[in-house]
Amino acid sequence: MSSVDVDPGADRTRGDADETPRRRYELEDLGFDEVPKKYRKFYRRWNGPGDTIAPNEALCPVCKVIIRSPRELRAGDRLYCMACMTRVRIVAGENGGLETETLY
Amino acid sequence: MSGSGIDDVHALEPEDFIEEVHSFEHWFEAVEGYLKGLDHGHLPDVAEALLTAEERDRLIATFCSYAVAETAALEASSGLIAIAPNRHAKIFLSTQTVDEGRHVEVMLHRLRELGVPDPEAEVERRAGPSVRNLRKKILQLVEAHEWDAAIFAQNVALETMEYTVFRAHARTADPITRDLLERVLRDERRHIGFGENELGRRIREDKKRRLWLGTVKSELDSLVLQTFEEAMEEIGVPRWDRPSLGRDYLETVNRLGLV
Repeated sequence: MSSVDVDPGADRTRGDADETPRRRYELEDLGFDEVPKKYRKFYRRWNGPGDTIAPNEALCPVCKVIIRSPRELRAGDRLYCMACMTRVRIVAGENGGLETETLY
Repeated sequence: MSGSGIDDVHALEPEDFIEEVHSFEHWFEAVEGYLKGLDHGHLPDVAEALLTAEERDRLIATFCSYAVAETAALEASSGLIAIAPNRHAKIFLSTQTVDEGRHVEVMLHRLRELGVPDPEAEVERRAGPSVRNLRKKILQLVEAHEWDAAIFAQNVALETMEYTVFRAHARTADPITRDLLERVLRDERRHIGFGENELGRRIREDKKRRLWLGTVKSELDSLVLQTFEEAMEEIGVPRWDRPSLGRDYLETVNRLGLV
């Protein structure tokens, strides 16, 4: 998973209050076998509290799988967890980091 | 969206995502990833560990209770198809029914692998009382056509408990049991997600329904807790470690606003 370029465009479907370009990420299949093959690169297993979550990743609050995006995440972004069928939104956490909340 | 060239799954429209993840085709392609080539629910080349007579007996008792829980989920999920309020829920429950049928089968087979000659008679004789009561309660809700309450009892309470207990058990289990449980857990993720999201959508703007579900939850809490404690006792989780294991259930009901 490496950062390859920046995305200068605002996103139509997601919150983009910060207009500075986002880093983009080349996703590869990390062996997450709980979704159809074509979606595997968008997910990986969580290895517990010591696991470093990258700027393009978020922890699904329902099933604790790491959701991966091809773009750096920001508050207001919407993600899908296909492992448990949950829609989540990225929100600013109290400690300044990013957190997730469920969107039913 | 077919083929392997998907740039960003998160750019899907919400309706397309819901359509996709509830489909039979999605389920089939998902389970293919972790169920292909197994021998009764576990990898065929995993060697049986040497268990003491006491360890084997404890494991047999544990699988007897698991089999009752999975049978409850099989009976309930199949019964719920008829009263599901929409096509997505009906199709998803048809896939859950298949998952639960597989769980019952592999757990009964695990009992055979552990030397039990008549697994169903053993289950009848040794399954814990709390899990039997929970099964009765869930089936009563299904028979009464109480969709929200039955989904809560099965896909939130029972499935979250199974998810938590199986994860805890897999950490210390013999290699065959661990492999079997880890593959069951992959199914459980979908089941708990379906329950939370289905109820979340239904109570989002219906305060009365949320209040009523809160009452259902309160009525079920002691039974869920007893069943949970019974399972923790069977798999030998120390008492000091149990509160953290109950966190998943509490987090779910908190997210749903059922407190």
